[in-house]
Amino acid sequence: MDEIILGIDLGTTNSLAAVFGPGGPEIITDASGEALVPSVIAFSPEGSSQKITVGCDARDRAVENPLSTVYSVKRLVGKTVDDVRDDLAVLPYAIVAGPKNLACVNIDGKLYSPQELSTLILSEIRSRAELALGQEISRAVITVPAYFDDAQRQATRQAGQGAGLNVLRIVNEPTAAALAYGLDRKDDATIAVYDFGGGTFDISLLRVCDGVFQVLATNGDTRLGGDDLDREIINLVTSEIRQRFGQTLSFPPATRQALRSLAEALKIRLSTEDAAEIAIDLGGGKSFERTITRQQFESLIGPWVEHTIEHCTRALDDAGLGPADIDEVVMVGGSTRIPLVRQRVAEVFSREPYTAIDPDRVVAMGAAIQAGILAGASRETLLLDVTPLSLGIETLGGAMGKLIMRNSTIPCSAGETFTTSVDGQTSVDINVLQGERELAGDCRELGRFQLRNIPPMPAGAPRVQVKFTIDANGILNVSARELRSGREAAVQISPAYGLTKNEIDTMVKDSVVHAMADMTSHQLIDVRNEVARVLGAIDKALANAGDVLTGPQRDALDEAVTACQAKLETCQDPDELYAAMKAANDAAMPLTQAQMDAVLSKTLQGRAVEDLGPQISSE
Amino acid sequence: MCDFCKTLNPAAAMMDFFSLLGLAERFDIDPEELRRKYLALSRHAHPDYHVNDNADVRNLHLQVSASLNEAYQTLRDPASRAAYLLERLGGKSSEADKSVPDGFLDTMMMMQEDVQDAVEASDAAELARLREVLQTQHDGLMRGVAELFAQHQQAVICQAVTAGLLEEIRQQLNAVSYVKKLIDLTR
Repeated sequence: MDEIILGIDLGTTNSLAAVFGPGGPEIITDASGEALVPSVIAFSPEGSSQKITVGCDARDRAVENPLSTVYSVKRLVGKTVDDVRDDLAVLPYAIVAGPKNLACVNIDGKLYSPQELSTLILSEIRSRAELALGQEISRAVITVPAYFDDAQRQATRQAGQGAGLNVLRIVNEPTAAALAYGLDRKDDATIAVYDFGGGTFDISLLRVCDGVFQVLATNGDTRLGGDDLDREIINLVTSEIRQRFGQTLSFPPATRQALRSLAEALKIRLSTEDAAEIAIDLGGGKSFERTITRQQFESLIGPWVEHTIEHCTRALDDAGLGPADIDEVVMVGGSTRIPLVRQRVAEVFSREPYTAIDPDRVVAMGAAIQAGILAGASRETLLLDVTPLSLGIETLGGAMGKLIMRNSTIPCSAGETFTTSVDGQTSVDINVLQGERELAGDCRELGRFQLRNIPPMPAGAPRVQVKFTIDANGILNVSARELRSGREAAVQISPAYGLTKNEIDTMVKDSVVHAMADMTSHQLIDVRNEVARVLGAIDKALANAGDVLTGPQRDALDEAVTACQAKLETCQDPDELYAAMKAANDAAMPLTQAQMDAVLSKTLQGRAVEDLGPQISSE
Repeated sequence: MCDFCKTLNPAAAMMDFFSLLGLAERFDIDPEELRRKYLALSRHAHPDYHVNDNADVRNLHLQVSASLNEAYQTLRDPASRAAYLLERLGGKSSEADKSVPDGFLDTMMMMQEDVQDAVEASDAAELARLREVLQTQHDGLMRGVAELFAQHQQAVICQAVTAGLLEEIRQQLNAVSYVKKLIDLTR
């Protein structure tokens, strides 16, 4: 028997799996016919160890064990604690800063990373599937929101590996849904997939023709979902409770958990009814009751729904399409059951959205179809997806120099040539970014890539050709070669969002030789060179355009430069020196911006916008 | 792609975009033919069909597939196709020659002021009108580019003529990118 590839929809609220059978995708169910596994993990002490439960049982005991029941893990994947501030107030379990400030969950003093928690869910899905199919499973396709960045995709793949699954492909959820819907189409059609789930929102526009699924544009928000709608209800209720019983009233974790369950139930009831009641026992003889009408609910969630519409408009703009060009709108995700959502989508696209397939199951079915493609079942279906975010590198003063534009069909690659600025320099640092903003600080930092083993040559002589490739999973790979010597340059990666050694090994292509890791002194020399170069560049920029700085800006820059200069001579710690350099570079930002603006305004006077490209460490 | 052994040619990742997609090197291409060839080749090259192959084969498909995507993206858009072809024919890049057709800048300066005023006033109707004017200008410039490439093809043996034509195409394309930037501002 051929080994099965499992298609898994790893959701914020629920997860499920499907396989590609002879008659098409088949959803896997348990003995009682249930397909959905709540993405909830409960920890309970058992003797000296922890007993871990995943799914319905875990969810049903959430109110009893608020501190040790974890849900909505997907919102934390690949995020720092600062990224998830909004959730901290609502989630009863403890979210703390782990390594590199990454959001982790603290259960009885033990830290769990979001990918470890996702691994627990995936293990449960895997063992259920093995039970249902009666065979071992070691390969899978896992879906992610289309708008997931590199770090979130890597973390998801890592979670799969942790569950003993070789993750053959990361597929975008709306694309998977389109696969599930588009099976029988032979005509040429443009479809919009509106995917509003428990924690994330995606809109994808696709051209579907003769088995080809070509994504034209995608947009979204990985932190916009049903959880946010629940939070609106929770906030309303808690503020009213405080008005009635005193502003200082605090909500213990069990009450917060109960509120959350109530809010979710209320939301679901208001999808079919015009009003619903909420009643909560606050203990100590206090109780709170209230009726919420659908109209009140809709005005609470209206702004969130409008956000999704803004993303739709952006995707249409990027694809160069208008609402009238869309032949069909497909709804995916539990939040599309809300009447207001359906109504607004229908208004925007001037057509009734299509909801023939259960919105909770359609993504898993698409994952199974993709698994069938990978298994070599046919070449009739061709999936051409895009990268949701632009990829670039940080240039002087913290600007973002784009190399691959968002909505480029993947796989795709871009090359950039870097050189040295100091005689004998043997390494160059590149900071790789993902995002649409002009400034590096506003983009997602993927990590620092250090090009090493560059043959010592006079400054500016080496030409290191770096190739950035985004594979079909939307994940970045980097390789480098020094052109004059023809030597492979080593790429050493310091990931910003916690990758393991294993993953780094996968990212670094076979052709790239690993540098020795024990070279602190070597690193120090390289950082010193880098510092000298940056300080030189700042000097030059000051001479050219120093007058654009305000007094305080100039003071801040001078201070940062002086501090950096002092460290350059005395500091022995490469990280500390790097931090000082980064501070100086950040302080130079207004200067860089002024220079960029000057270039922009000259654009119309005979300058090419290409001048805006990388101005530092590249040619 | 070899018809005989059904394997990819490793040199494919290095080919020029026209050769890679099996098209004649000319500006005037049939967009449907371009798409058809791109999809047919993608069906051979796409990494999804090769997950069970060894790392070298997978990497080759990744690289060739990335080249196909870049080629398609470059040739599909008339302005980027024109810029690519111009450099293939020996014309200058936009960095090397930033000149624009005579009189173009004066018109553009006026248009730019109008656009800026309308943006500041958030005048949607005026912005829509300006966008339409600019789009007409853009389309006219691109028709000029197509005409110049056609002339180039006919005059290909006379270097004095072709050199002049390439310079003219460069100027038109520079003008196109200015107009495009202004169109973006109206959004």
